[in-house]
Amino acid sequence: MTEPAFFILTALVDAPRHGYGIVADVAELSRGRVRLKIGSLYGTLDRLVGDGLVELDREEVWQGRLRRYYRLTERGREALAVEAERLAANARLASTRLRDQRNPITGPVPS
Amino acid sequence: MSRLEERYRLVLRLLPAGYRQEWEDDMVAAFLESMDDDDPETAEYAADYGRPGLAEVASIVSLAVRLRLGGSQAPARSYAWGQAVRLATLMAMLTHAVMVTASIAVTLWLSGKIAWLPAPAPAWALTPPSGIWHTAWNLAGYAWLPAYLALVLGHRRVAQAVALLAIVPPAVTTAVEQATNDVPLSVTPWAVRLIDILLVLAMAAFHRDAPPVPRRPWLLAIPIGILLVPLPLFAIQATSQAPRLLDWPGLSCVMVTAAIAVRLAGRASRQSASTLPWSLALTLLAATTLALRLVTLPDYIGQAQRTALGTIAVTEAIAVLAVALPLAGRAIRALRRLPPIPADGQAPTTPTG
Repeated sequence: MTEPAFFILTALVDAPRHGYGIVADVAELSRGRVRLKIGSLYGTLDRLVGDGLVELDREEVWQGRLRRYYRLTERGREALAVEAERLAANARLASTRLRDQRNPITGPVPS
Repeated sequence: MSRLEERYRLVLRLLPAGYRQEWEDDMVAAFLESMDDDDPETAEYAADYGRPGLAEVASIVSLAVRLRLGGSQAPARSYAWGQAVRLATLMAMLTHAVMVTASIAVTLWLSGKIAWLPAPAPAWALTPPSGIWHTAWNLAGYAWLPAYLALVLGHRRVAQAVALLAIVPPAVTTAVEQATNDVPLSVTPWAVRLIDILLVLAMAAFHRDAPPVPRRPWLLAIPIGILLVPLPLFAIQATSQAPRLLDWPGLSCVMVTAAIAVRLAGRASRQSASTLPWSLALTLLAATTLALRLVTLPDYIGQAQRTALGTIAVTEAIAVLAVALPLAGRAIRALRRLPPIPADGQAPTTPTG
């Protein structure tokens, strides 16, 4: 799973969001590190919809513009959980090694 | 509709119609919202004079390339075009790689570095370059070989960066030489550089969804290509006193004509959708070669043998047309037989529950 796909799915966990809502939430979740361009957002979103991980929730007109809200499907939730667990396991692995391995200069990493 | 929206919709026209039909309004709304500002005056100014930023446009171009030049999961037509561009790019890169590899060998021989070969005639001997920078500058042209290897091994961005190394220094040399009248003004080097730049852009077709390049046949193609093209060419030039009548556009015409002739001859037994990308790729190469041949014709005007060179060039162009037209006709018919790209694509459907 690519990083943008991971953040888009994460942004949709708590509530359905529209296109710009996803962009804004992903920027906030990643502390400004992942700033999705519209082409990248829809390039990823169309794959997620095609794979059945995301689906259309509803359409609204806001200030004369169409807003489509997307929501996470059950399959999307499972895929995100699996990916999150995989990333967490990797992080745990690295943390454990860093803790166990004595640093020749500063000594062991404080736990 | 604001001017900003008009400009953004113009950029979105790069995307296939079916995709736009489903996603365009949503993308426009998201984009306009991303440009909104709390200050009404700033917002109004942006609506009138704002433009989509370079990064926004790049993201749309990248999406358009992925959709129009699709990978193996894409609709059949998009995949056929994607494979065609990828094959044409690989063949053009292979030609560069083969020619530079052969020219490295020839340069070593002419410099007397290959002792076991007979010494070259004194008239052919090379003057060593004046300094290290001059040598490095001349070596830049050889970057086509690592660029090709990087592309075959799946490192597309590396291939693009290395290919630029092969393009820029020779372009600067040509510009300086032509500006200082060291060499006469000519179209050929610029037309060749333009095609090289198109080649770098075409490498975008090797995106994440594209199938990996089969390594073994494309790597094996380098020694085979050397045996088939530069080796016989060098042997003819070394043994014959005839002046060089075959320039680079001419040689490209000969290679493309030969490749298409082989393809047409072998076609009767294998007519399937899997061979369509090869036909399309060769058609793309034929069109490019023909354009190169035609735009470089004015370079012959000032030459003493212009009549002979012009006749040969026209013959080359006719030969390309004679084989490329039937191939293009068949490729287009085969393309039309493929199912069209569905209008709804992978667009979301309104849920029923």
